[in-house]
Amino acid sequence: MTVARRGFLERFRAKWVPVRVKKTRQNETPEHYDVSTKHRNVLDKLPLALRFALRDLLGDPRGFGVFIACIVIGVAAISGVNGLSRALSQGLAKEGRTILGGDISFNLSHRQVEPNERAWLEQHGRVDEIALMRAMARREAATTPDGADPALVELKAVDPSLYPVFGALETEPREPVARLLALRGDVFGLIADPLLIARLDAKIGDLLTIGAARFEIRAILRGEPDKLSGGVGFGSRVLISFDALKATGLVRPGTIVRYIARLALPGNPSEEEVAAVADASGAAFPLAGWDMRKRDAASPQFSRNLERFSQLLTLVALTALVAGGAGVANAVRGLIERKRAAFAVLKALGASASRVFAIALTQVLLMAALAICLGLGIGAAIPYLAGAALERVVELPVVVGMDYAGLAIGALYGLLVTLVFSLGPLGDAHGVPVAALLRGEAESSREKGPLRYRVAGLSAMLALVATVLLSATDKRLAAYFLAAVLAAFLLLRGVAFAATWAARKLPRAKDARLRLAQSNIARPGSLAPALILSIGVTASLLVALALVEGAIHAELARSGTREIPRFYFIDVPRDESAAFESFLAQQVPAPRINHVPMMRGRIVAVKDARAETLHVGEDAAWALDGDRGITFAARVPQGARIAEGEWWDADTKAPLVSLEAKVAKGLGLGIGDEITVNVLGREITARVANLRRVEWRSYAINFVMVFSPAAFQGAPYSELFTIGYDVSEGRPSQAAGYANADALDAALARETAKRFPMVASVRVKDALEAVDKIAGQLALAARAAAGVAVVTALLALGSAIAAGQRARQHDAVVLKTLGATRPWLMTAYALEFGALALVACLFAVVAGAAAAFGIVEGLMKMSFVFLPGTVAATALAALAATMLLGLAGTWRVLARKPGPELRSL
Amino acid sequence: MTLAGLERPDAGSAHVDGHDLTKLDEDSLARFRGENIGIVFQSFQLIPTMTALENVAAPLELAGRRDAFSRAAEELAAVGLGERLSHYPRQLSGGEQQRVALARALAPDPLILAADEPTGNLDSDTGAGIIDLIFEQKNRRGSTLVLVTHDASLAARCDRVVRLRSGRIDTQG
Repeated sequence: MTVARRGFLERFRAKWVPVRVKKTRQNETPEHYDVSTKHRNVLDKLPLALRFALRDLLGDPRGFGVFIACIVIGVAAISGVNGLSRALSQGLAKEGRTILGGDISFNLSHRQVEPNERAWLEQHGRVDEIALMRAMARREAATTPDGADPALVELKAVDPSLYPVFGALETEPREPVARLLALRGDVFGLIADPLLIARLDAKIGDLLTIGAARFEIRAILRGEPDKLSGGVGFGSRVLISFDALKATGLVRPGTIVRYIARLALPGNPSEEEVAAVADASGAAFPLAGWDMRKRDAASPQFSRNLERFSQLLTLVALTALVAGGAGVANAVRGLIERKRAAFAVLKALGASASRVFAIALTQVLLMAALAICLGLGIGAAIPYLAGAALERVVELPVVVGMDYAGLAIGALYGLLVTLVFSLGPLGDAHGVPVAALLRGEAESSREKGPLRYRVAGLSAMLALVATVLLSATDKRLAAYFLAAVLAAFLLLRGVAFAATWAARKLPRAKDARLRLAQSNIARPGSLAPALILSIGVTASLLVALALVEGAIHAELARSGTREIPRFYFIDVPRDESAAFESFLAQQVPAPRINHVPMMRGRIVAVKDARAETLHVGEDAAWALDGDRGITFAARVPQGARIAEGEWWDADTKAPLVSLEAKVAKGLGLGIGDEITVNVLGREITARVANLRRVEWRSYAINFVMVFSPAAFQGAPYSELFTIGYDVSEGRPSQAAGYANADALDAALARETAKRFPMVASVRVKDALEAVDKIAGQLALAARAAAGVAVVTALLALGSAIAAGQRARQHDAVVLKTLGATRPWLMTAYALEFGALALVACLFAVVAGAAAAFGIVEGLMKMSFVFLPGTVAATALAALAATMLLGLAGTWRVLARKPGPELRSL
Repeated sequence: MTLAGLERPDAGSAHVDGHDLTKLDEDSLARFRGENIGIVFQSFQLIPTMTALENVAAPLELAGRRDAFSRAAEELAAVGLGERLSHYPRQLSGGEQQRVALARALAPDPLILAADEPTGNLDSDTGAGIIDLIFEQKNRRGSTLVLVTHDASLAARCDRVVRLRSGRIDTQG
C-alpha cells in the first residue's frame, strides 16, 4: 500500500475512532470522555460482525481489485443490456401510433378494404391506406447496351394527401409528400431508399421504369415513421402514390399485394378505447379475414425477436458474471489466506467460529455491495450514453429512462454470484485452528469448514438458477443455457482433476524444468483448476461463436451450388405462365424450372377455435402471425416427404390440406382435423389429409399449407417460379455466352424485367447476402457481449496466477540460490502454463463445437460446419494469451533478489 | 494449550475453574476462553488492521461489554502505552507490541494468564521489561500466570515449575 493511501485511510480511521481520549504522558491514567453517552461513535452501534469487518477493510482493503472488477463488469453488462432493450421496447410502445400509422391497422392480402368496411371505420376516425408489394425497377437511359440491371424494390403506395398521419417522413430534399409524388406529364414522382440510388447508380432527377409506369426520383428517403409495421423485405423501399401503383399495371387478380388500412381515433384515446373499437370491428366483420393490430403491439414479430435477442445478450452477460465468479472465489481464498492468523487470534480472544465466518462474510458482502453499486451505475448510464447511437443504427424510436427492474435483476445476479462463489471458500474461515498460532502454523494450516457452508453455496446456486428461469421470456432457451454452463463447469472441474491426477501419476520427468512444471501442476493449491476453468470457459465461448458465424457464412456459399435455386420469380400472371416457362428455358441451358400457384391467406381458425383465442408455442406462433403463402396441388409437390397420412387423388373434389408437420403439431392438428384460412375475403375450411416434413434450408418451393385444387376452385392467383442451373466449371455461363454465373444472373434479371415487367425477381444469393449482413451485425453484438465474458475470465485467470505467486516466489528464491537462472525458471513456468492451457483448449474445441452444433442445428435449423482452421486459430490465440499472462505475472516474481526474501522466510 | 482451551486432549479431562473443558463445544469453549483465559503469544499475534486500542478492546467487544473501549484505554495506560492508542502494530516496536498483547490478554480480567515464550521475539533488555510487567500485573490482579519458557532463570521466578521432556512431565515442584 502506498504511503499516501495509508495516510488517507488512517486519517479516515482516526476520525471514526470510537472514543476520543485526551492524550497524556506515558503511564498516566488518561482522562477520557464518557464514552457511553456523549461521544459514542456511530460505528459502535453497528452489529459486531459489521463493526469488525469495516475496521478490517478500512485497515487493509487490498486483494479485492479483481473481485470488484469481475462483479462490476458482469452487473454493468446485464443491467446495461436490459436497459437498452427496455429503451427499445418503450420506444416501440410510446411511438406505437407512429409506428403503426394509426391506432389500429387492418392488414389484408390481395384486396383493399371493402367500401362498407371503410365506411364503418370512417365512422370511428380517420382512415388512411397503404399498399405494399415487390416489383422490379429499371433506370432509363442506361449507358450499357443491354440496358440497366433491374433492382428489386419494395413498393409502398400511399395517399399523398394524408401520408403520414403520424410522425414525419424525412426526405432529402424536404418537400411535401404530395408534391414529391405528384404526376408531371406522364411521369410520377418517387421517393427512393439510398440503397436503391446506390444500386442503380442513380441520382435525383433520374427516370425509372416500374411495370408500365415511369417515375422520376424526386427525393431520397431518410426516415420512414411507419416502416416497422409494414415489415422489412429484401428490396429497397420506394414510395409512390396509389395512382402511380395503378399506372404500373402490376396489380392484377392474384398479385401478391398487401393492403393496410390504418384507423386513427380522434383525440388521444386510451388503450381501453382502442381495444373497444378493435373488438367492435371484429364483431362487425367477422369474416373480413384481416390481421388486426393495435398500436401497443405494432410489430409483434419484431417485439418477439427483440425480446429473444436481448435475452440472449443477457445470458451472455450472465456468462461473463459467472466466468468472473472464479475471480470472486480466488479473491475470497486470498482473503482467507491473508487473514488466517487474524481469524485465529479472534478465536483465541473468544470469538466463536461462526462469528469469525460472519466477519469474513460481511467483508465480502460489503465489497460486493460496492461493486454492485458501481456496476449498476455504469449499467444505468449505458442507455443514456448509447441510446442515441442505437436509435440511429436500428432506425427505431428509443426512449431512454431508468430501468429499475433491469437494475434490480442485475443487482440480484451480482449478489447471487458472489454468494455462489464465496460461501464455500469462506467456510474455511470457520475452520481456522487457534492452536496453530502457538505452533506458528497459522499461515499454513488447513482445515476445511463444515459442510453447511458448501450446502449454503449450493443453495445460492439453486437460487441463481431459479432467478434465471423466472426472469427469462424464453424459458427453454434459458434452461438450455443453464444446463450448458453447469455442464461446462462440472466438466472443466473434471478436466482439472484429471490433469492434476495425471501429473501426479505420470513418471517423474527427467528434465528438471519439466519436472518442476509437473510438480507445480500436481501439488495442492495448483493453478490447474482456476486456469483450466477460466481458459476453458473463454475459449469454448469463442470457438462456439466462430463456428456459428461460420455456419451462417457457409449457407451463403451453398447458394452457388446446384442444389439451391438461383432465382425466385414472384407474381407471374397465371395466363402467362407457359410463356414465362418457355422464356426461362431459352435464357439458360439445362435449367431446372419449377412453378406453383401462389396466393396469400391467413389462418383464422383451428378446429373450432378462432386464431386470436389460441395460445400456441413458438414453433407454431409464427404461422398465426399475419398472412402466409398458400398453394394448391393435385400431386405431391417435388421434394415433399409425407410423414403421416396420404396424398389425395388428383381429381378429388374435397377441400383438403397438407400441413407442415411441426406447425401442425404446434397447432394441435392431426389427420382429419379442420383448419380455416381467409383468402381474398373468403373463409375456406379444409380437412387435414396428411403432414409433410419440409426441408426449409433447401430453398426449394415449400409451403406450410398445400391445399387440394378443389379448395380454391375459380380463385385468382399468380404463379411462383424458381430456376436453378449448374454453375460448376462455368459451363452454363460460357454456353450462354457470359463470363461467369453472376453475369448470367444479371442478364436473366434484365431480360425478365424487359419482357415481363410485372414479375419480381429475387436472386437467392442477394437475399442470403442481406441475411448474412444482418447476421453479421447480430454476430458483432454477440461478440461484444462475449468479449465481456472473455475479459472477466481473463481477470479471474490473472487473479488465480497472482494467488499462486507466493508459493512460486518461495520456489524461485530457493532455486535461484541453488543456481537457476531466470530463463531457466521462465521455461519451467512456460511449460506449466502451456500444458494447462493446452488441456483447456482441447476441451474448448470439443465443448465449443458441441455448443455450436446445438445452436446451429437445433436452434437456427441450419447445417453445422466444422471449420478446423478457425477453431485452431481461436484455440491458439487462447493458448498464447494464457502463456503471455502467466509469464508476465511471474516475471515480477523472478525479478526479486533472493537475499531479502530468504530473510523473511 | 489444553488448559487454555485451544486444543482438546485425546484422553482424560481438563478442569478449569470447575468447568470440564472436554465437555464444552467449540462455541462454549471460545466464550470460556474469552472470559477466563488471557493468552500472550511469542509472536505477539496482534491483528494488523486494528489499532492498539481496538486490539485490546476486541475480547471485551466479543464478550459484549459496553465499556470495551474505555476499559481498553485504561489497560493500555497501565502498560505504559496511553499515548499510542491509535497506532497500528506496524507503527509499534516489538516491545510495544508485546505490551499491547499483554494489555489485550489482561483486559477481560482473566482467571488464567497464559504466556507462551513471551520474550522469544524480543531482545534481552526489552524482554526483561516485559517479564517484569507480566509479573507486576499478575500480582496486582491475582491472576494465575502459566508461563511457558526455556529460560531457567525465568522459571525460577515462578511459584511452581513443571518440567516437560519429550511431551511428558519430567519433574515438578
